[in-house]
Amino acid sequence: MLFAQRPPALPTFVQINKKGILMTFKQLLIFFLLMCGSGMAMAQQGIIKGKITGQDNEQLAGATVLVNGTTNSTAADLNGNYQFYVAPGSRSLTVRYLGYRDTVINVTITAGQLTVLNVTMKSRQSALKDVVITGYTEGQAKALNQQKNADNIKNIIAADQIGKFPDPNAAEALQRVPGVTIERDQGEGRYVSVRGLAPQFTNTSVNGEQIPSPEADVRYVALDAIPSDQLASIEVTKALTPDMDGDAIGGSINLITRSAQSNIPAISGTLGGGYNNLMRKGNMQGQLQYGQRFGKNQKFGLLLNSNYYQNNLGSDGIERAINDNELELRDYELTRTRLGLSSSLDYRFNNHHEVYFRTLYSRFSDREWRRRYVFKPEDEEIEKLTKDRYESQSVLSLNAGAKHTFKSFLLDYEAQYSYAEQNTPYDNEAAFISGNASTLNYTDTRYPSISTDQDYTNNSQYQFDELGMGSTIAKDKNLTAKMNFTIPYKINSSNGIIKFGAKVRSKNKNYSINQNTYENLGGVPNLDQFVGSPVKNQFMGGRYQMGNPLDVSSLIRYFNANPSQFELQIADKAADEALESFKASEDVLATYLMGRQQIKKLMILGGVRYERTKVSYDSKDVVIAANGDLEAIRPISGSNVYDFVLPQLHFKYDLSKLTNLRAAITYSYARPNFSEIIPSQEINREDRVATIGNANLQPVKALNYDLMAEHYFGSVGIASAGLFYKKLDNFIYRRTVFNSPYPTTGTVIIPRIDITQSQNGNDADVMGAEIAFQRRLSFISFLKDFSLYLNYTYTHSKARIQSRNASETNANATEEIRLPGQASHVGNTLLAYEGRKFSARLSVNFNGSYLSELGGTKDEDIFIKNRVQLDATAGYAINRKFRLFVEALNLTNQPLQAYQGTPNQYIQREFYSYWLRMGLKFNL
Amino acid sequence: MKKLKYILSLALLLAFTACDKRNDNVVTPNVGDAFPQIIKLADEGDGELEDEDKFSFKIDLADRVDPSGESLEGKIIPLKKTVKVNFEVGDIKGFSKLSDYIKDAKAFYEIDDCTTSEDANISLNLVFDANTGKGSVDFPAGVEEIEVEFETNDALFDDDVLNTTDRSLEVKLTGLANAESDVTVNTANTFKYEVLDDEGIHGEYELDVNNAAEFNKFIALFGLINEDVKGLKASDVDEITIEFAYDEFKAVIKLKETEMVTECGETEEKNKEIEIEGGLEELGLKTLSGDVEFADDIEQEDGTEAEFKYSGSFEISGKELVLTLTGEYNDDEIEEITLTFSK
Repeated sequence: MLFAQRPPALPTFVQINKKGILMTFKQLLIFFLLMCGSGMAMAQQGIIKGKITGQDNEQLAGATVLVNGTTNSTAADLNGNYQFYVAPGSRSLTVRYLGYRDTVINVTITAGQLTVLNVTMKSRQSALKDVVITGYTEGQAKALNQQKNADNIKNIIAADQIGKFPDPNAAEALQRVPGVTIERDQGEGRYVSVRGLAPQFTNTSVNGEQIPSPEADVRYVALDAIPSDQLASIEVTKALTPDMDGDAIGGSINLITRSAQSNIPAISGTLGGGYNNLMRKGNMQGQLQYGQRFGKNQKFGLLLNSNYYQNNLGSDGIERAINDNELELRDYELTRTRLGLSSSLDYRFNNHHEVYFRTLYSRFSDREWRRRYVFKPEDEEIEKLTKDRYESQSVLSLNAGAKHTFKSFLLDYEAQYSYAEQNTPYDNEAAFISGNASTLNYTDTRYPSISTDQDYTNNSQYQFDELGMGSTIAKDKNLTAKMNFTIPYKINSSNGIIKFGAKVRSKNKNYSINQNTYENLGGVPNLDQFVGSPVKNQFMGGRYQMGNPLDVSSLIRYFNANPSQFELQIADKAADEALESFKASEDVLATYLMGRQQIKKLMILGGVRYERTKVSYDSKDVVIAANGDLEAIRPISGSNVYDFVLPQLHFKYDLSKLTNLRAAITYSYARPNFSEIIPSQEINREDRVATIGNANLQPVKALNYDLMAEHYFGSVGIASAGLFYKKLDNFIYRRTVFNSPYPTTGTVIIPRIDITQSQNGNDADVMGAEIAFQRRLSFISFLKDFSLYLNYTYTHSKARIQSRNASETNANATEEIRLPGQASHVGNTLLAYEGRKFSARLSVNFNGSYLSELGGTKDEDIFIKNRVQLDATAGYAINRKFRLFVEALNLTNQPLQAYQGTPNQYIQREFYSYWLRMGLKFNL
Repeated sequence: MKKLKYILSLALLLAFTACDKRNDNVVTPNVGDAFPQIIKLADEGDGELEDEDKFSFKIDLADRVDPSGESLEGKIIPLKKTVKVNFEVGDIKGFSKLSDYIKDAKAFYEIDDCTTSEDANISLNLVFDANTGKGSVDFPAGVEEIEVEFETNDALFDDDVLNTTDRSLEVKLTGLANAESDVTVNTANTFKYEVLDDEGIHGEYELDVNNAAEFNKFIALFGLINEDVKGLKASDVDEITIEFAYDEFKAVIKLKETEMVTECGETEEKNKEIEIEGGLEELGLKTLSGDVEFADDIEQEDGTEAEFKYSGSFEISGKELVLTLTGEYNDDEIEEITLTFSK
């Protein structure tokens, strides 16, 4: 047993020096040669390959195929396809799939030859005459079978499941996974956090390869840009294997697009519309998918998928700035669209060789009108503003690759081009000011009262202050190539595989901004000349009046007709554009070696991954002179190189054919956000403060321990419990160095200035437990048509940062905090009814409170309050091809609530009301 | 089946076209190069004493982004083609006919510190009708600022009484002739010229430097903000004057020490001067006694700026001005000091 003789070393997880790298490579080389030798010794095996389907020709993803009397087994992929090397001779195979009867097949294997064996399985539930099998159960079965047979700890959501929850985008679909929390924007899920770690600790892939982020300053992808209708399944990997990118501490999300399955044309789609109660406006959605295999042996597969969703939504909100004693009324109106186009082409030359080309294009657009009042009692002013902004986020992913089955090894390789762009062609905001005194009363902290000297909705009292008109564009391009070899081997009666490969990725990211802010040169009329009509009948249930809003387009028309009355703020333009724009390039080289060994009921997977990252950045410094004038803008560059060796070890023990015990020790890391490493600097000599990027910032390193027990129910279901612990090193936090000389190295220009910069240095710990239960309640006769889905995750974290009370005299003082974004309690509940034609689901998603933003002092920390969202769906199957559906979201009008310091000290409350969608799904 | 496919495809296409509706009611702003050059009045107003025989207003261009990037705060980019600017003098107060006050007009621009366009015999084709108040002047290509100067009747307002009504006029730019679309003019702003009453606070006053008490009080008061003033002795000083001008307070300490000064090629010996200036934040007008406050920023050694502020009251009796002020600068304060000046 190779791993018993040579257990994979778990070297200390550090960025190693050159000597360390060389030694590690030497060890890896020996390991590799041993593995190849073993693989060559197994060259005389036969190959079995085929597809596992159900009675309705549905592919059974995750089905296992076991050679009886051996430990040799494999699991079908997402399309139900499987292949593995088997010793020659007469063999008996058992095919297993949750919810289906075990199927035993006898087959004769010839050495060095490929045997095609397609299997059609019978549903276990067809024997239970009163139990109705629906798409949801099928989806659940696919997901659980894949999860059960996976080598590592992961959760999978199948497309059929995604379709059954009212989740329009990938982020909202992911909130149903244990340990996943989402950050919302305007009531819709956007960013995903896994196991209590902020979004930057999770990477996102499409079809196994990372996609870039359309946003300028971060790496993580806003998953509301990816329509869920484009996906065949979503995998959330919580413990990495060496063949995966190592830059994921929280988890790795893989979005898998669909592909063609049979020579019968498959046309499916959705047509629907809906209603948003707050805006009293409709929404619309459509999806159309076509897939078919062509040719005599169905060699060529084509799948085209498209979807469009337009949502008219909005929110009513209050925001409070405690330190400034200011209060805002915020009235949002939004139109969001999601367009998804994907295709999958594959050609199977024969049973040994196939090529594929997959594309995904998604485009998310967001037109937003934000209408605000800002009450400033200290200044005896009230501001009235409107913002009109359009933003689109596009992601394009092109994957071309091939898979080859040779007599003694498997080879796959792929090239990917991906491009992400966030384009904001216009971001216009205008502000008018009234010298109207106001008094704010917070006796009712949920709904503060406002009293003003004059009617604050009277637009004639507001004088023009400024008109800002900007545009930005962020581009991120990845070019990736990778190659994997898989070599089977057998030692005594134990089967195993050796896998090794390499990857290169080149990333180029840049951000540019154009900002023009105009003030009054003389002559701009008061706000009453630029009013529009109210967009809602009432605001915050009629508690506050919004009056007639400022119409920015009307003001811009006036601006175009009367430019001589507007004065461009030139220094602001120069500073804004210089400070935020940047160019960055990042080259990653990775290689890995891993082995998977089945020893009776124990599976051991171990190996090591090496990643080298070379990054460089170009940006600009902005220096504000002591008198407040813009003193200088200077170009600046930075670069960094870092290496990681990441050992990974996984164990899976089959207590029974339906029960697994899993354990994993893995190493991973997370690269810093671009906003933290771009070496741009804002040096404000007037206020004696400086904010500077840190191009030398090192990634956060993590050692992860995972333990999981899972029991699957034969009737489709799971009960699982797990523990995890993560030790983070080089945790990134913002540190202020008081009265530092500037620059910190070289000739001092400014002797004393407070410098704030993201820095490494502190440790953090994250630990938690997660439990999940889902199954059909068929064992209770009167509840036989009901299913229950429960999951709960508890997470605890602590990190040490520079004390917020630190000053010149105690700059090294530290304090302990909970990690931002980490919610202690997260859970989901779903009760589903599945009748012959009618089905209904009630789902509850609970997100516990979490620290959103660190304040200057502990009392200024901002928390997001816990939130419970209740959604409901119902469907009626007209026949096998057509199904009506209705979905209702946020039925209890749960607000987004943020508080500062103490839980009843609200600083933000935002309400969305409920919205509905209904329509027809068809599968022709 | 086929029909259904076509219907569904059409429905989807229609849905996609809805993508474009998101940009309803969007107006593209004329920014960047599309934003025109703006000709404007350089100042909001000015004022001279009632016996002054001229006044002027200036026309310039709004700053634009410096294409070279050298001037981060922006700079005036001169016009590429001469345009004719129309203006109008009106809204007269304190007199009935504009032509009673304005006798003549001329226009010029500075070529350098010592030479004007007038010196170089360059005409700006000024046309002005004192009867209607309407006029026009060329704003030449390559020029940053022009000045229109009116010759006035210095006797019209020169009386010996304290006037309690306004005596003023306003200038507005009214339009452009022969301008292309990339040049426009601000017609909303006005330049207000006010006749300052020398029977009130406005005008120049002198401190008796031979009065040791008055001199020491002056030094104590303004030594707060000026180290050079703080160290002065009466024997160093030839003359101390203060002036309440339009929106500005100015104190000039003329020293006995002299220096050779060269201006426009001519060198002459002049007394050294120390000047203290501040913008008037408050000033009692049309009265013989009232409040006064003036302030300004002073650059510190480290480049930062700190504000000084003097506030108090004044009282005029004949040719005598009694000024009572307190001062603040950084964390220092000067308690109330009363000074007596004579006109």
